[in-house]
Amino acid sequence: MSATESPKSRLESPAVGLDLVAELRATLERAGELVRVVESNLRAPAEGTEGASSDERIAELERRLATAESDVKELASRLVDSEHQGGRLMNLYVATYQLHATLDPAEVQATIAEIAINLLGAHQFVLLLRRDEEGGGYEIALLEGMYDGVLPLYDGESYQGGDPMVDQTLRDGVLRLGPTGESQALAAVPLRVQNDIVGALVVLKLLDHKPILRAEDRDLLDLLSAHAASAMFAARLFATKDRKLRTLESLVKLARGE
Amino acid sequence: MQPRKVLVVDDSKLMHKMYEVMLRQYPLVYALDGRQALERLREHPDVDLVLLDINMPNMNGLEFLAQLRSDGARPDVTVVIISTEGREEDTARGLEAGADAYIKKPFHSEEILDVIQRLEAKGSAA
Repeated sequence: MSATESPKSRLESPAVGLDLVAELRATLERAGELVRVVESNLRAPAEGTEGASSDERIAELERRLATAESDVKELASRLVDSEHQGGRLMNLYVATYQLHATLDPAEVQATIAEIAINLLGAHQFVLLLRRDEEGGGYEIALLEGMYDGVLPLYDGESYQGGDPMVDQTLRDGVLRLGPTGESQALAAVPLRVQNDIVGALVVLKLLDHKPILRAEDRDLLDLLSAHAASAMFAARLFATKDRKLRTLESLVKLARGE
Repeated sequence: MQPRKVLVVDDSKLMHKMYEVMLRQYPLVYALDGRQALERLREHPDVDLVLLDINMPNMNGLEFLAQLRSDGARPDVTVVIISTEGREEDTARGLEAGADAYIKKPFHSEEILDVIQRLEAKGSAA
């Protein structure tokens, strides 16, 4: 990957991370071979009967072995990092791809839920979307995981405010992580269409086997913030236009007496 | 032994895409629930690895697994459960039902690849 390659093109090429992993794996194998050669060289003079020059040679080979072992450790560590990085890029690529793969609002909404559950490990979450009509508050477009009863703030069709962290995020568009003294939400993710805050994804609980949000989850939250609302907005706009177009077509047919 | 064909059973299209990207070296077929998965197995006799979600409509993963293991038609098929159900009892239930491995979502891609490699090595040794 070139130094000038944009983050967008990196996202569009998830294979880059995996190629990097393959390259590192090959390098690691070469380093392993080097270690074996150095070990073999060390053994050969030790078995022989050479004098002081052999001692020097052994010392030199031991130094080279230590260097090679250190290189192997470093490469192994970089391999693990690269594998993680490849996995993170793959998650981001797949999430972005799937969000924009459809113009059906219900499918976009289902994708947001699938990202939250399968990639983030969210168990309870709410998707809030701003109502355009006056005094509408926020539509509870999606509510997931509240099988034992819905939290009062999110009970109904609208969210009218009440969680300080969520309300603040809806006002200023800043992604916040909790819980805080005032809010039990684990994350309040603003949803933006260009610079307009049109809603929020509120994560209330994670799966039992995922105790905390990890650093890598921040990338996914940022992605949702930037892409979820625009995908939803585009799909809703398309659905509305499509409906209007069908109505007009029906009227034209009626007027023609077809 | 490398899997000849992998059957992905998950009701999430996002996960289908994820496996498509992650396992691009393997031929994949997809099913959205257990019922479809049984059909796919009949249509593709060369499937020898199944990546199976549990929570699905129509027929869930455990019901599919029970049917697969009880009819005995495909005893060679390796099944890896990949699910958000992460309690110890869920894992135990899945393995008792006949799964060869259990991975919790969300996962790192290395976990899936490691399990596949381990199962391949086990298959080669057998």
